Amino acid sequence: MKTQKSKLKIHNSVVKLIGVTKRYTIHHEKPTLVEKFINGRNESFLALRDINFDVKRGEKIGLIGPNGSGKTTLLKLITGITAPTWGTVIVNGRVVSLIDLEAGFHPELTGEQNIFLNGMLLNMDKKEIKSKLKKIIAFANINRFIDAPMYTYSEGMKLRLGFSVISHTKPDILILDENIAIGDQDFREKAYKKITEFVDRGTTVLIASHWLEFIQASCDRVIWLKDGQIEKDGKPSSVIKEYLRK
Amino acid sequence: MASKSRHFIELLLVMTEKELKARYKNTFFGFLWIVVNPLLQMLVIGFIFRLFIKEPIENYFLYLFAGLLVWNFFSLSLTKATQSIINERALIKKAKFSRSVIPLSIILSNFIHLILAFILLLVPVFYLGTLSEFWIIEVFLGLALLLTFTIGISLLTASLNVRFRDINFFVQAILILWFYATPIVYSIFVIPRNLIWLWRINPLTSIVQLLQKALANSPPPGLAMLFVNSLIVCLFLFLGIVVFIKESTNFDDWL
Repeated sequence: MKTQKSKLKIHNSVVKLIGVTKRYTIHHEKPTLVEKFINGRNESFLALRDINFDVKRGEKIGLIGPNGSGKTTLLKLITGITAPTWGTVIVNGRVVSLIDLEAGFHPELTGEQNIFLNGMLLNMDKKEIKSKLKKIIAFANINRFIDAPMYTYSEGMKLRLGFSVISHTKPDILILDENIAIGDQDFREKAYKKITEFVDRGTTVLIASHWLEFIQASCDRVIWLKDGQIEKDGKPSSVIKEYLRK
Repeated sequence: MASKSRHFIELLLVMTEKELKARYKNTFFGFLWIVVNPLLQMLVIGFIFRLFIKEPIENYFLYLFAGLLVWNFFSLSLTKATQSIINERALIKKAKFSRSVIPLSIILSNFIHLILAFILLLVPVFYLGTLSEFWIIEVFLGLALLLTFTIGISLLTASLNVRFRDINFFVQAILILWFYATPIVYSIFVIPRNLIWLWRINPLTSIVQLLQKALANSPPPGLAMLFVNSLIVCLFLFLGIVVFIKESTNFDDWL
């Protein structure tokens, strides 16, 4: 409902955050029912505080900041994995996150069954997966193993298959968290080529990373997060320069 | 909207398929275990309880078996569904999808097993001729209530268990009592009149009675019982859906 209304209002914004605040409860131990009723309130901290920004279609945005500054939380909110405590997150289009490539795999299922399972968890429908099945298998380069159960796969094969599924999802918004290491040198080159392909195709990309050279080279806007707030938002060269000075 | 619900159903079916395939991988008897378990229970309970029961129940072994199939489906689904969100934390922390497919796929895969087991049970029932006149209606109504109730209560326990891990232990404790609070090994007619309300608030009473009626031709549930039980089933479904929707947006924070 929210997204439909917003389409008229925000024109070419694909992601819009309005006053987004995320509060986490500090779990010293998992609360039990009894504690909950006795203590009533819990200790909490704010991972993000009043974040406002717009992402235009096709923008490449780099998120920088020290560990614990809220980068991952921000990406999780945009992906829809968790919800903001206050504020609104508006997203137009399919978001795909390259966080963990193997999360949706089940060891007892075959490669092909896992492609369907994983693809559907990433919001593809069955028809779409069927039409791309051959390409996905070819890109992952696991040919003979495709009808063997996944527990017989090597780590590299699993990673390759995971990346291959994700890279065939045609996202409108691609999310990359931290540095992704994917298999051997040969496949890594293939993977980076694929990511650059996304970038060239006009996909909106959000990258959180400590690898500043990579951010500077591939992004056209950088957001610097500090203690859950936006410290600076602007051109990569100037933001990164200032970030390094501190 | 239409494509969203279609995607939901497709995902649910794929997850159910995963449950079915993963469970009996590398087992020799596979799906037969779903029948072997209640069969053994039936033989043991049937032999022992017949020594105690004053008024014998007609077709007691079939009566028992029908009740045990229902019970095993219910307790297994509830136990597994309650822990399911925590067990699938890796998925929940990494991808956005309808969280409800996790408990629902467990219930659905168990339900498919239940139906297969009932079909197998029809063979001796036909042979012995204990099938009731309106068995199709009774089986359909009984299974519909059972599925609805299991979904409702599982959504409730699965979502609450994320924040309050006590729920899991609570479910395990209450299931032991619940077995004896349901007319599976005994008949509802041994219950004193002034305690019958306890069985009225237990929806499994009607469900079990409907299937016992269909397959062992025992007395059907009274109308008052059926009505109150169904009302409680609907209440749990409503409560389960509301709580699950509310809690599921923040599962990630608690895992």
